[in-house]
Amino acid sequence: MLMTSSKNVRRVKVLIAKLGLDTHWRGAIVVAYMLRNAGMDVIYLGNAMPDDIIEAAIDEDPDVIGVSSLGGAHISLGKEVIELAKRMGIYESKVFVIGGVIPPEDEKKLIELGYDAVFGPGATEKEILTVINQKLREKGIL
Amino acid sequence: MFNEARSNMVGRPEIASYVEDLAKELMENGVSGALSKRLKAEESRRVNLYNEEALKEIGEKISSWLERRLSEEDRRSFKKAPYLLLGSKERIPRPLISTPLDLKDIDYVRDIGFPGEPPFVRGIHPNMYRGKKFTIRPIVGFGTPEDTNKRIHFLLRHGATGINIVFDLPTIQEYDSDHPYAKGQVGLCGVAIDTVEDMKALFKNVPLNEISISLTTHYPSNTMILGSMFLVAAEEMGYKWEDLRGTVQNDPIMEAVVRTSPESLPPRAIFKIHVDNIEFLRSKVPKWNYVTYNGYNLREAGVDEIVEIAVAFSTALEASLEMMRRGHRPDDFLDRMAFFWGIGNDFFLEIARMRAARRLWYRITRYILGASKERSWWCRFHVQTSGISLTREEPLNNIARATLHTLAGVLGGAQSIHASAYDEAYSIPTEAAHLVSLRIQQIIQEETGITDVVDPLAGSFYVEWLTNEVEKEVVGEMDSIWKIGGIINAIEEGWLHRKIAEFAYREQVMLEQGVIKVVGVNVYKADKTLTPPIDVFRYPEDAEERQRRKLETIRSLRSKERVENSLARIVEAAARGENLFPYVIDAVRERATEGEIFNIFKKIYGIWRPRISI
Repeated sequence: MLMTSSKNVRRVKVLIAKLGLDTHWRGAIVVAYMLRNAGMDVIYLGNAMPDDIIEAAIDEDPDVIGVSSLGGAHISLGKEVIELAKRMGIYESKVFVIGGVIPPEDEKKLIELGYDAVFGPGATEKEILTVINQKLREKGIL
Repeated sequence: MFNEARSNMVGRPEIASYVEDLAKELMENGVSGALSKRLKAEESRRVNLYNEEALKEIGEKISSWLERRLSEEDRRSFKKAPYLLLGSKERIPRPLISTPLDLKDIDYVRDIGFPGEPPFVRGIHPNMYRGKKFTIRPIVGFGTPEDTNKRIHFLLRHGATGINIVFDLPTIQEYDSDHPYAKGQVGLCGVAIDTVEDMKALFKNVPLNEISISLTTHYPSNTMILGSMFLVAAEEMGYKWEDLRGTVQNDPIMEAVVRTSPESLPPRAIFKIHVDNIEFLRSKVPKWNYVTYNGYNLREAGVDEIVEIAVAFSTALEASLEMMRRGHRPDDFLDRMAFFWGIGNDFFLEIARMRAARRLWYRITRYILGASKERSWWCRFHVQTSGISLTREEPLNNIARATLHTLAGVLGGAQSIHASAYDEAYSIPTEAAHLVSLRIQQIIQEETGITDVVDPLAGSFYVEWLTNEVEKEVVGEMDSIWKIGGIINAIEEGWLHRKIAEFAYREQVMLEQGVIKVVGVNVYKADKTLTPPIDVFRYPEDAEERQRRKLETIRSLRSKERVENSLARIVEAAARGENLFPYVIDAVRERATEGEIFNIFKKIYGIWRPRISI
């Protein structure tokens, strides 16, 4: 809703990907719909490995990169996404969020690794939109 | 040889043109049109169960009852849409009461009949659970095959009568345990299988001629590979293929729609391999169910109960037409077709739709496909209680949910059941949770008397009316699929992906708004301290390392040349348009790995990206 409130605000562009081999795409699609309905441009990449995600991020130049993981690879592959982003020099100019089935003790770890936000199974539409917008402002993207 | 036998049957032009006409008719008139044309003669013989006079009196009485007994508000909301998780919501609004008026022209013999006889509404066996108890078939799979083998023996010792193997993500997605994509995921969510040696370790000391084994292979492509490994393992362990009982999943919807992967084969290639599997397994492993159309995972991804059946039946119908194009008569293969339904919260609808599914599948196989043997008309199915309906909050409540779901499965006449474990939202089941899930089923079987009477809800005005409504809705969905040109076209055009995405999003909104209620989550939220602590399953340590070392040893011991030759022969067979199964079997015998065979498939068919537009 925040994105559509003012005509002067440019549309936020989001890239969403399923991390690695994980096959549960329901959550990623639901979030993609939420963001689209809030007036954002959404690209759904499908399943991708970290290097494909960063490659697509360089090509598409989104403001937000969201990765979804329900298969247990959030730390191993999730870490690579951030490391690659830093190496390619796109980490500071984009918001990185991760969501899925993530044990509470791993949430902290992901933030330490460099994610701007972590969304668990109970995250609501309002929470996701508020946090993304807040992080966009914090990083000076909006 | 298998391929020679087949070549004697193909090329019968009259069959080919018959199938083409049938496909054209389905696209033009839908399943509804094809059925009503063929059932016309039946229709003229109908005998109404309720007589005119009785119906007239009920009609008069109900009007006055509505006036006298119900409030204005009750009358206005007489029909109510059930907003339940994974449910069809507004599609079939429920009346406050059902009466014979909802079944005005019901004909007992033609619409309901007797168990073990057409139209099989009441069950496929005359004595149902008195004759054969439903199979208690728990899911199992984690770590290495050696780890899972221990749990299989635990389950068999405690009364499991079948086993349902689940594989880890690299195995399902067809990568070896030492592939870079597999890193950190070996043995998670399922057991790791790379070669036939793993299959032998998995089933060590399991009597494969006595226990029926379900391999939850999901995709047609990995069904061909893992199925081959199972067959070669069984053979090397001294069993004959004719004696093996069990199932593979082999569902093209799973490969092209439900599960996504970094590298998917194109839908048409998937469908070709799907039919190759049916053809090979039906002829070589006669007691084996060569397919289990998996409505469950599609439903959990995000469709309602109606679409779940409609998609499974549409795929089954299209595969049957393809088998006929290849020269097989419906009665030669339909007897081993099986289905797999998810059981969710809409209790009576779940029961009604299993009854409706049996009647509709009977009508499709008999009247559209022209099958004439009774077994070809059976809609046999396994059910699993819904996983997505289980909550992380207050996990013991999930025992109540799984019990209700299991009960619906039993009242619906399922052949085999897995009750999901209460710790589903935390991890794969601990031993304790696994045991409770077995016990739910054993309590229903042994302590309640529920299984003594066949189809006890038959004749309930509500259940019979719901059964009719579900059947109509499923036929309607099948018509829309055929209008797009059949299920494969519907997938290529993104129809099914769109359907899932829209449904899942709408449910999420309804959950957040509290329209769909979940106890302990969005209604009756309790203090966290009321929830007892829960044990979480811990994966065995070093599974990945152990699995990689084993794979390395196998690679070093086999003949590289023989493996390469066997893989090259798969490519050649594909170029000749042959069934690929026998060639995959040969490669597996040479200790080719799953990943190596999948690479060959990718080389032959290329990679496809599904159309998911946001």
